[in-house]
Amino acid sequence: MTTADPPRLGSAPADLYEAPAPSGPYPPTEEMLAEPVKPKLRGAQEDRLRKVWEGPKGWRILSDVNNQTVGVWYSATCFAFMLGAGVLALLMRVQLAVPDNDFLSAGTYNQFYTMHGSAMMFLFAVPMFEAVSILLLPAFLSARDLPFPRLSAFGYWSFLVGGVFVLGSILFGVGPQSGWFMYPPVSMQEEGMGPDIWLLGLSFIEVASIAAAVELIVGVLKCRPPGMRVNLMPLYAWYVLVVGGMILFAFPPLIAGDFLFELERALGWPFFNPEKGGDPLLWQHLFWIFGHPEVYIIFLPSIALTAMVVPTFARHPIVGYSWIVLSAVGTGFLSFGLWVHHMFATGLPTMSLGFFSAASEAVVIPTGIQLFAFVATLMVGRVKMGLPMLWIAGSLAIFTAGGLTGVMVAVAPFDWVVHDTYFVVAHLHYTLFGGFVFPVIAGVYYFAPVVTGKMLSERLGRWAFWLSFAGFNITFLPMHLTGLVGMPRRVFTYPGGLGWDWLNMLSTVGAFVIAAGFAVLAWDLIRPKSKEPKAPRNPWEAGTLEWSADPDESWGARSVPYVTSRYPLWDQDEFVERANAGQGYIPDAPEMRRETLITSVIDARPIQVLRVAEPTWITLVAAFFTAGAFILPVFHLYTLAGVSGALAIATVVVWLYRSARDHPEAETKDAGLGLRLPLYVSGPAAVGWWGMWITMLGDSTAFASLVFGVFFYWTARPDFPPEGAVHADLPLALASLALIAVAWALTLGARMLNTRGRPWLATLCHAIGPVLTLAGGAALVLAVRDLDPTTHVYPAIMWALVVWTTAHLGVGVLMQLFCLFGLLTADFGPRHDAPLWNVALFWHFLGLTALVTVACVALLPRLL
Amino acid sequence: MSDEHPAGGEEEFREEEASLVRITLGPVVWMAHFIVSYAATAVVCAKLSTDELVWLRMGIAAATLLALGTIAWLGRRSWRQWRHGNEDIWEDPAATSEDRHQFLGHAALLLAVISFIGVIYTALPALFAATCR
Repeated sequence: MTTADPPRLGSAPADLYEAPAPSGPYPPTEEMLAEPVKPKLRGAQEDRLRKVWEGPKGWRILSDVNNQTVGVWYSATCFAFMLGAGVLALLMRVQLAVPDNDFLSAGTYNQFYTMHGSAMMFLFAVPMFEAVSILLLPAFLSARDLPFPRLSAFGYWSFLVGGVFVLGSILFGVGPQSGWFMYPPVSMQEEGMGPDIWLLGLSFIEVASIAAAVELIVGVLKCRPPGMRVNLMPLYAWYVLVVGGMILFAFPPLIAGDFLFELERALGWPFFNPEKGGDPLLWQHLFWIFGHPEVYIIFLPSIALTAMVVPTFARHPIVGYSWIVLSAVGTGFLSFGLWVHHMFATGLPTMSLGFFSAASEAVVIPTGIQLFAFVATLMVGRVKMGLPMLWIAGSLAIFTAGGLTGVMVAVAPFDWVVHDTYFVVAHLHYTLFGGFVFPVIAGVYYFAPVVTGKMLSERLGRWAFWLSFAGFNITFLPMHLTGLVGMPRRVFTYPGGLGWDWLNMLSTVGAFVIAAGFAVLAWDLIRPKSKEPKAPRNPWEAGTLEWSADPDESWGARSVPYVTSRYPLWDQDEFVERANAGQGYIPDAPEMRRETLITSVIDARPIQVLRVAEPTWITLVAAFFTAGAFILPVFHLYTLAGVSGALAIATVVVWLYRSARDHPEAETKDAGLGLRLPLYVSGPAAVGWWGMWITMLGDSTAFASLVFGVFFYWTARPDFPPEGAVHADLPLALASLALIAVAWALTLGARMLNTRGRPWLATLCHAIGPVLTLAGGAALVLAVRDLDPTTHVYPAIMWALVVWTTAHLGVGVLMQLFCLFGLLTADFGPRHDAPLWNVALFWHFLGLTALVTVACVALLPRLL
Repeated sequence: MSDEHPAGGEEEFREEEASLVRITLGPVVWMAHFIVSYAATAVVCAKLSTDELVWLRMGIAAATLLALGTIAWLGRRSWRQWRHGNEDIWEDPAATSEDRHQFLGHAALLLAVISFIGVIYTALPALFAATCR
């Protein structure tokens, strides 16, 4: 079928207001792909694209939202935070070098280890995944940008402000001191603002992480180049999909935990206070339901970088592609069944411990499979060695050692022996250095030419590797022994003569050797390179899409290619030349707007040309006000925080409304290669709808964690609910549910009526809806008015559910008013109905939340 | 670009919107089994007497058999999706609907295998360490 006419897309829209379907030949024939672009036209296209994608100059660069700029800022910020947290580690090692040292006081030491762990996890490891993905994922997919560039920028600014706030607290001596997991009761008894800084600062950063996860999941599902079916995706994209999903299910329990924690610290609601029926173990559960998947959230993206590097140096396609997909998805699932292995010493029933021990052993299987797939690829390929491969080899060695001690500590009785000793410190550093730090540095050396157009130094890279590899093993290998001979973690000093002295000295020496390695790496990154030659386009002779773009141009992909292979640069004829000559899709920007191509989820058929955001200050303003809402409560400035929060919401509403009313000037446009694609779509075809769906999945997980709390108290405490407790008012609660149900039906009805061409009826629905929602929220609050949340955990958790639901009802009202305003001004209508779809989707989740809340608050306690 | 697979099987040309979700069904069964086992143990150990342990263990055994049966059925379906019309080829890297279909079958099969092992692992504590202490 190479010479005949290609099959054509296109069918008439089902109704008057539906988006026109894509039309034209697809897939393209070889002749179409080989058709050259006239030199004059090509020059004109390049001029237009260059002008459209040109970033703002001077200080205005801060308003940029393009993934290439934001990704570099994001990565550099993570790296800087890592260096800061590393300095804390060095200072701790100085303190521990000799027995009875008084270099650091106990309090300072506590702040340092708390901040070292928190910063490395929340300010380096997790955001580094987001940073690298925002920077490189579009390149892996030949996309011009991610679907929500302003969301990336908003996430970045939130991360920067939150990170500086949290890390900066250490300079004023007010940092948190209760460990990176902030266990109550010690963290509840801690004086000062340390725990508040930890909680509010990190909650803020967690929100940024979820924003990035939404962006990246939609990016992988909808922004692939035409032809890149799910069986052809770069493995990195599979890992991003899995890790994005894990973030959605892992971070919300911690946000729910933070919500309860701050309610206890600020208002005295006794969630973790056993004297009033609370239980500190609930915090441990919520923390580790987040904390263990988080280990894999850190590990999988780094192993994904390995999966991009290994085939290049083996000069062979990856062996066992579906096996690696299995291990990514399998690890993603199994990692949620491991959290209690951090709680083996808490006295849970042996059988319960057994379940988690079993899952901890099972997760080794998929983790091991991907390592074997890499080894197999290297065995069948013709390996050439290179600097990135050296870092990968080092990472595999270190990670395997860390994995083996992981198998040991997953066995509960062994864990009891080494619990809270330096053995665990050694284990976790082996997994994190091998599974995260080294692969990321391999990625830095490998992808540097994609990002900057310049190679990093081979010689400095080797020095950095051998210093950090040797230093790492000198520091952490002895720690296994330090732990086995009994030295506990988190002690600021120790007496001499216990056999710990020389081991600690050795570890301290090693720590400085690692630091030397990182200093060489940092110098290699920041040293001026303007005099160095430009790197060749594809210096490692890789086969994947990111090497087809010109790093000097800010447009990302010159044109979006048609992809038929996992390694198009190896397998497809004249691939780079054609893509860069504009012989692909969207090679031009005649309307002078930034655009990227949206394709279908499974087979990546082109379905839309999406207009993406241009530089704007509104993200920066929104992040600034959001920061105020999270940071000011630390200083008990609640009114100011409320004002700041209101301004943040107002800014976001303006931001969203301006996008929602920005309708394209035409229904369809020429997307190149004869294809005409729609510019405006709504409902499940639109990226915004997917973004809402994924966000609400995460939001529901946080809510489910609160509901888990109710059941947890019921099983863990004999007095839940306490004898003779006041229950919520049943009739009022049911009335509230009825009002919310009608409001939900009106919201859904508005969307359906509008789509059928009756926007005036939709307007009416959205005019009545907010009134009912507010009445429903008021009834819900009145239903629990007699419960005093400070007296016992039972009224407290009921109130927590009500507060959560009421806050969401508030958002629901805002959304209804948003639609009402748009309908009244005719900015939204039967054809332009994307906001109505997205709001109705939000309301499905809101209706479910209200239903579960009323069941838990008013019905369940009467049955227990 | 031809949409025909060299081996000739033409199972599924339309997009399998549901199949990305379908590959996770094996792990979802593992998860359901895990949650049921964990929650039942927590409730029995906290609220009932240790005399009920025998019922708990029988219940976990039944849940395990049910989970294993479901996963085996899913695995068999995935095996067919992967191998049918594809008897001589073991990798699915080509750009056809058929190869995408078979790849999703293969991934689902592998995930069913790992979930099967995971369910057996989860059942072991009920067999060997059945105590609330």
